[in-house]
Amino acid sequence: MQKQRYSGPLERIDANCVRIPKGYKPGMKVPGLIFVDDNLLEQVQKDQAPDQVANVAYLPGIVSASIAMPDIHWGYGFCIGGVAATDPAEGGVICPGGIGYDINCGVRLVRTNLGYREVQNHIRELVRALFNTVPAGAGRGGKYKFTDKEMKPLLDEGASYVIGRGLGVPRDLAYMEANGRIGDADPDNVSDHAVKRGSEQCGTLGSGNHFLEIQVVDHVFDEDVAAGFGLEKDQICVLIHSGSRGLGYQVCDDALATFRNAHVKYGIDLPDRQLACAPADSPEGRQYIGAMRAAANFGFCNRQLLTHQAREVFEGVFGSSWQDLGMDLVYDVAHNIAKLEEHTVDGKKKKLWVHRKGATRAFPAGHPELPQAYQRIGQPVIIPGDMGRASWVLVGMPGSMERTFGTTCHGAGRAMSRTAAVAAAGGRKIEKELEARGVIAMAQSRRGLAEEQPNAYKNVDDVVDVVDGAGLSRKVARMRPLGVIKG
Amino acid sequence: MYEYFEHTADLGIRVRAPDVNGLFAEAATALFAAIVDGIGTVRPERPVDVHIEGADLDYLLFDWLRELLYRFDAEHLVFSRFDVSVGDAGLAGTAWGEPLDPARHVLAHEVKAITYHELRVEQEGSDWVAEVIVDI
Repeated sequence: MQKQRYSGPLERIDANCVRIPKGYKPGMKVPGLIFVDDNLLEQVQKDQAPDQVANVAYLPGIVSASIAMPDIHWGYGFCIGGVAATDPAEGGVICPGGIGYDINCGVRLVRTNLGYREVQNHIRELVRALFNTVPAGAGRGGKYKFTDKEMKPLLDEGASYVIGRGLGVPRDLAYMEANGRIGDADPDNVSDHAVKRGSEQCGTLGSGNHFLEIQVVDHVFDEDVAAGFGLEKDQICVLIHSGSRGLGYQVCDDALATFRNAHVKYGIDLPDRQLACAPADSPEGRQYIGAMRAAANFGFCNRQLLTHQAREVFEGVFGSSWQDLGMDLVYDVAHNIAKLEEHTVDGKKKKLWVHRKGATRAFPAGHPELPQAYQRIGQPVIIPGDMGRASWVLVGMPGSMERTFGTTCHGAGRAMSRTAAVAAAGGRKIEKELEARGVIAMAQSRRGLAEEQPNAYKNVDDVVDVVDGAGLSRKVARMRPLGVIKG
Repeated sequence: MYEYFEHTADLGIRVRAPDVNGLFAEAATALFAAIVDGIGTVRPERPVDVHIEGADLDYLLFDWLRELLYRFDAEHLVFSRFDVSVGDAGLAGTAWGEPLDPARHVLAHEVKAITYHELRVEQEGSDWVAEVIVDI
C-alpha cells in the first residue's frame, strides 16, 4: 500500500476547524472534526489520516464527533492526534487502538532554579552524564528491577509506590495527572508476558520519539500564568517524554488478540481491524480497562524514575541537592490514554470514556481534578516539539470542555515518514547540524537521530497557533532545547 | 525478498516469496533487520522453537512475528535465520539467533508492536506477498 492523499470532504467551520460530514462513509455515527487552519491543511491532506478520523466515527456509542488535533498524522487504526468519547450507557466501546501501544506515553516538565548563564558552559557535561546514566534505546534494561511480587503494588499504586521507596518525594504526586495513580487498576489482568517485559524497563527512556531534554524558557507569553507554574524567562527546565515501555505495549497487544472476534460477538461493524474494540461494560472491556489502568500506573512510575535519575545527574554536575536546585515538577501529563470522565453533552452531564491517542488533557481553571496550586490558573499542558526548534507550555481553557472533551494537541506531529527522513538525511551529520543551532544531542542510534531530525516534524509553533486560536489551550511559554538524549 | 515502505509514524514491511513458508521466514528476517542495524552481525547459534495454532494466514503471520518480538524484548534474544512450516492448523517455526550483545549488535529501532493496520497475506501470480506495519 502506498501513501495516498485524502480526497474526501473537509468543510470549513471556522478558521481553526474543519468537518468531515457524517455522510462521507456509510458507517459513521457522528461527523469528524479536525482542528486545523489553512496553513496546516495541505499537510493534513497529504495522507490518509482524515480517513482514519472518519473510521473512528464508526465506534459504537461515540458521542458528538470523532475529533483530531492539528498535530494529526497517519497512525494505525486511530490517527495520531485523535480524540473520541464513548458513552458506556449507550453501549459505548473501549478501543485499545484509541490509546495506542504505549499506554500513558506522556511528558513531564521539571523546573530548576538555574538560569541559562549558570548552565550554558555545562550543557555538554550534563548531556554526557545524562546519556551515561539514563538507559535509552531498544532492548535496554535499567538499574531498577522489580520482582513479580513488587510489580503488583507498583501497577496498583502508581508513582506513590516508587516514591515510597525513596525515589522522589510525596509532593511530586500532586503535580501529576491523576496524582500519578489511575484508580481501579487491575494488576491481575496484566499478563505474565507484560510483567516480564516491564520488570526491567521501569526507569528507561526507550526509543523512537522518546527523549530527555534540557531546555531554556526563551519566551514567556503570559507572565502571570507562567509565574503560577513557577516558570520565567531564561530558566532551565528538564522535559521527559516516555511511556509504559514493553509492559504497556504488551497489554495493548494482549487486548487486541482478545478482541479479535469481539466484533462478531457484539455485532460491531469496523472498517479497520486495528480498531478492534469491545463494549466498555463487557467482560472483555472491563478486563482491558483494568490492565490499561495498571499499565498507565507503570508509565507514571517510569517517568518518576527517569526524573529521579535526572535529579541525580544535576546534583552530580552542580554539587547541590536537587531540592536546592529547585527541581520540582511543573506537571506530568499523559497523551495516550482513555479515562472515564464527566462531560456535559447537550446540557446533560455524562460519564464518558475519553480516548486520547496522541492528545493531551487540557482542563481549565476550576476543574476539581487540578491540584490546589493550579485551581485558579488551569492545567499546565506540555507540548514537546522537535529537538531543534521548540517545545511549549500551554494552559487548559474552557473551550476544551466545550469542544474537545477537555483535550488539546500533544506535539508537533510528523510531517515525514521515518524512511523519508532517513533518505532526506542522506550523509548529513544531524548532530553537527543541531550543534550549529545550539543543541547538543546524543543518541544510541544514528538512524534514530536521522528519523527524528527537526525537518521530519511540522513546526510545533503552527500547531500551537491552532489550539490557541480555537480556545482549547492558551500559550504560556516557549522553550528551546539545549541538550537532548535519545534512544 | 523484503523492503520497507513508508508509513508516517511507523514502518511498513513488504515481503515477497515463492511460497508461504519462505514468506514467513522472510518477514521475520525483515523484522529483525529493522531491529538490528546489520542483521549479518547476528550469529544463528541458538534455536528457539515456536508453535502457533490457527488457520487464518494473516493472524498466523501476526502471531509469529509477535512471538519473536516478545523473545527479543523480554528475553533479549536476536535472530537472523528462520525455518517455518505453515500447515492447515498452524505453524511450526524455528528461529536461530543469540543473546543480544551490545558490543557486537547495533540496535536500530525499538519495535513496540506488530499492528493489524493494513495487514495482508496474499497470493499474487505465482508469488506470495505480505504487508505488515510495525509500531515504532
